[in-house]
Amino acid sequence: MDTVRSSPEHVESPHSSLEVLRSAAPGLVGQRTADGIETCWVPRDQLRALLGAAQRQAFEMLFDLTAIDERVREHRQEQPAADFSVVYQLLSVSRNRDLRVKVALLEEDLTLPSICDLWPNANWYECEVWDLFGIRFDGHPHLRRILLPPTWEGHPLRKDHYARATEVDPFSLDAARQDREQEALKFCPEDWGMQRQSDDSDFMFLNLGPNHPSVHGVFRVALQLDGEEIVQAVPDIGYHHRGAEKMGERQAWHSYIPYTDRIDYLGGVMNNLPYVLAVEKLAGIEVPARAQCIRVMMSELFRIASHLVFYGTFAQDVGQMSPVFYMFADRERLFGIVEAITGGRMHPAWFRIGGVAQDLPRGWERMIREFIDYLPARLDEYDSMVLDNRTLKRRTRGIGVYSSAEGLAWGASGPGLRATGLDWDLRRKRPYSGYEQYDFEVVTASGGDCYDRAWVRAEEIRQSLRIVRQCLDHMPAGDYKARHPLTTPPPKDRTLEDIETLIQHFVNSSWGPVIPPGEAAVAVEATKGMNAYYLISDGGTLSYRTRIRTPSFPHLQMIPLMSRGLFVSDLIAIIASIDFVMADVDR
Amino acid sequence: MAEFAVIIFRALALLLALVLSAALLTWAERRLLGLWQDRYGPNRVGPFGLLQVVADMLKLLGKQEFVPPFADKPVFILAPAIAMSTMLLAFAVIPFAPGFPLADLNLGLLFFLAMSSLAVYAILLGGYASNNKYALLGSLRSAAQVLSYEVFMGLALLGVVLQAGSFSLGQIVEAQRELWFCIPQFLAMVLFFIAGIAESHRLPFDLPEAEHELTAGFHTEYSGMKFGMFFVGEYLGVILISSLMTTLFFGGWLGPVLPPWLWFLLKTLFFVLLFVLLRAALPRPRYDQLMAFGWKCLLPLALLNLTVTALVLL
Amino acid sequence: MTTLFYLTMLIALLAALQVVRGLNAVHALLHLIVALLALALLFFLLGAPFAAALEVIVYAGAIMVLMVFVIMMLNQGDAAVEQERAWLDGASWRGPGLLCALLLLELGYLLLASDTGSAGWRPVAAAEVGRALYGPYLLLVELASMLLLAALVGAWHLARALKNRRGEES
Repeated sequence: MDTVRSSPEHVESPHSSLEVLRSAAPGLVGQRTADGIETCWVPRDQLRALLGAAQRQAFEMLFDLTAIDERVREHRQEQPAADFSVVYQLLSVSRNRDLRVKVALLEEDLTLPSICDLWPNANWYECEVWDLFGIRFDGHPHLRRILLPPTWEGHPLRKDHYARATEVDPFSLDAARQDREQEALKFCPEDWGMQRQSDDSDFMFLNLGPNHPSVHGVFRVALQLDGEEIVQAVPDIGYHHRGAEKMGERQAWHSYIPYTDRIDYLGGVMNNLPYVLAVEKLAGIEVPARAQCIRVMMSELFRIASHLVFYGTFAQDVGQMSPVFYMFADRERLFGIVEAITGGRMHPAWFRIGGVAQDLPRGWERMIREFIDYLPARLDEYDSMVLDNRTLKRRTRGIGVYSSAEGLAWGASGPGLRATGLDWDLRRKRPYSGYEQYDFEVVTASGGDCYDRAWVRAEEIRQSLRIVRQCLDHMPAGDYKARHPLTTPPPKDRTLEDIETLIQHFVNSSWGPVIPPGEAAVAVEATKGMNAYYLISDGGTLSYRTRIRTPSFPHLQMIPLMSRGLFVSDLIAIIASIDFVMADVDR
Repeated sequence: MAEFAVIIFRALALLLALVLSAALLTWAERRLLGLWQDRYGPNRVGPFGLLQVVADMLKLLGKQEFVPPFADKPVFILAPAIAMSTMLLAFAVIPFAPGFPLADLNLGLLFFLAMSSLAVYAILLGGYASNNKYALLGSLRSAAQVLSYEVFMGLALLGVVLQAGSFSLGQIVEAQRELWFCIPQFLAMVLFFIAGIAESHRLPFDLPEAEHELTAGFHTEYSGMKFGMFFVGEYLGVILISSLMTTLFFGGWLGPVLPPWLWFLLKTLFFVLLFVLLRAALPRPRYDQLMAFGWKCLLPLALLNLTVTALVLL
Repeated sequence: MTTLFYLTMLIALLAALQVVRGLNAVHALLHLIVALLALALLFFLLGAPFAAALEVIVYAGAIMVLMVFVIMMLNQGDAAVEQERAWLDGASWRGPGLLCALLLLELGYLLLASDTGSAGWRPVAAAEVGRALYGPYLLLVELASMLLLAALVGAWHLARALKNRRGEES
């Protein structure tokens, strides 16, 4: 399966891809962005040709697909006129490059050709764009509302859609409306692309979720069963949609940080990282070494916490009762440390634009050292209890397999992709926050099945411990926050010495930092895969558009691929092995 | 007439003792699981949390007697009653002490098998009457599982019967005066224990109720005391299998110094604890793996055991 | 004992009647199970505990479970009850009812005429049954086992053929 290999030191001239692609799409126009990702605009009729050419240029993955409502954006220099633009972000794992393609659309004709045939994971992304922006995709197999209920009126990420319930009339559910909503909830197998019977059997339709002990939140899988064998499994998401992207448009840059904690709610401050990195890129802030090291350490601690939850629930979903209690007990110890350092537990919201909220407290070394000395022995015990268990192996080996190529085509990332044998880890391939200084291994397996996904995560806990130990041993001295005017909240020690700093402090603390106009997307290797924030600033105190690319969204889309022809129990093992939280899917 | 009254009294006493110990077992299991899983378990109500049993019972009794409108009402109510009564009936033939089985049937062992084969109706009918897909899947699984494992259980027990030369449980115990059957019938013991776990559908063979797959399997729609009866039925099953392990393979009431009933109790308790420990330790196999394990591994072993025993005895 | 015997007989008969009269297939099966259990009890009362145990284990405990299993899979709804009701109207009752009545008369006559007597009621132990089966009735046992083996192979073949057909399609 190792047809795709990634090379970290592959350097090409910045615009070489675009020049090659110009032959496929003559109408291509470049755009400069704060993050340095190659960005180009392409006319609608040349989009498919361009993307096809890019795919042949080894851009294996459709990393993200989203849209921007451009109608009230002021700073659009050197960009074609557009009411809406649709953004395709591609990723080449083998060349370690990105490509961002934008298409300008006018309000009277919001249609685009679908690219589901090029990348299968475009399916859900296009549905999402239709749902939230009302842009149609011609040739899409089943364009539907994916996050919002089918009865929703309007497209919420448009700038003219209300953001708060107080902006519209109070909600009421009269009899007619209730009937309409009830009618919309009725399950009709044909709508989901399912047949009711085959030649020799009637199928049974089983609604696994949205409330089911094993779907890790409010997630629904509609199953078409022949006995207990799965003919088709169609995931249905959107029950956990909280409009996190819309909230980004009405929260100050600084005050949005707590919202990010709740995207992957097991990842804690790991969620803050891509957001603050993207804002820092827009603002041009250099983060001091100590802050970077603290960030790495906290993120890795949260990776351990998240993987421990995964490990325990994985064993539990395969029917093993006890491990989850041990692992939650360990996680509790970890939260004790997190609480001592940040004051919060699951959602500390502790990173800040330009650094972290506070310096490390006295005695932090002792707490962390105790923990990292204690955990490895426990991990060995868990391995002998869970991963070495024969029944568990029989339940998970060879179940839910996908190859590296399939994983890339479907947008998979993180431990799931590494379990297929591909050593794609952003911490190693695109070091951020000083990851290049740490000595750790990128854990890979070769089977790409449920067992390997679990094994990779178990090993990653050990690697994270290594990283934390290095942070502990080499924690640099210095500031925990950048001395940059846009750092929020700004360092206070010099405010009473010169008027400039005082003014900046006052402004940043009262209405928040004003981030210069521009676009930046930063991806990090989060607990569950690649998590990216694509931020657009229009030169104000609020974000113009906040796009959150989460790893779990494409992972769930792969469930039909992974589960066909297997049993219901296998599906539970597969769901457990994906490691998702619904907030990370629905946002 | 007096004799009859004594029998009635003994039956009632046994009934009470069994239901009480099943209820206590719910507490014991939760405390033990707590102990093994680094947590406390119920420890707030009464000394050591013992009154938790009473609290739970009151809670279940206080719940609304709800029958879903789409259920098959008479069958829905019948199912939990079958679960509990078949298990209780099976205890009639267990010799707790010399001369104290409630009914010293010549065919005691067969009576147990008959009752355990009827017990499957509780699950089957409960699943059917609930008119719920999870319950249906659960009860289909359980029917297949219990039917298969009953075969191996019967075959494994035949080895013991051959060795003791009787179906009567009292005589089987007496036959172990020289040597407990766990040694000559070791294979049968292992097979019986595995099949017993499957019969009482406890983890790792709890596929009919596998809460991670089928929410609660066959009793998804049950609540209140009807659920309570299923629950007690399950614990009675655990006690039943444990006491049979004691009777058939570990010399029943036989033992030095202590009074016979205490020996029986201690041995049974040991196996009950083993059940709980298994639940704490093992994951659940997949349905088809369970069936394959039964038919491809246990059945040949059971036949082998029977053949070898017969040959040795001949 | 005699009272018990007649009581059990009555239960068996009533349950059997319900099997025929019942509209709901599962309820009918439940009555059949009751009839079988009553029958087992009759065996027991007649001094054949081994036969009684086998009756419960094999018929009530295994074969009927499979029947219920199949009926559950067929997912009988109200439509099936309606159909059953239509079948049980007077016209379709009369013929079979008459024939059954004739059979009953015949049975009654035979029972009264021949003198089977109530002598020799004594318990039959399991060992005796075994000796009888593998002694005088050995041939019948072997024949029955061959028949069952053939049925087993046949069932396996049918199930396998279905799978193969599916395999070709996909």
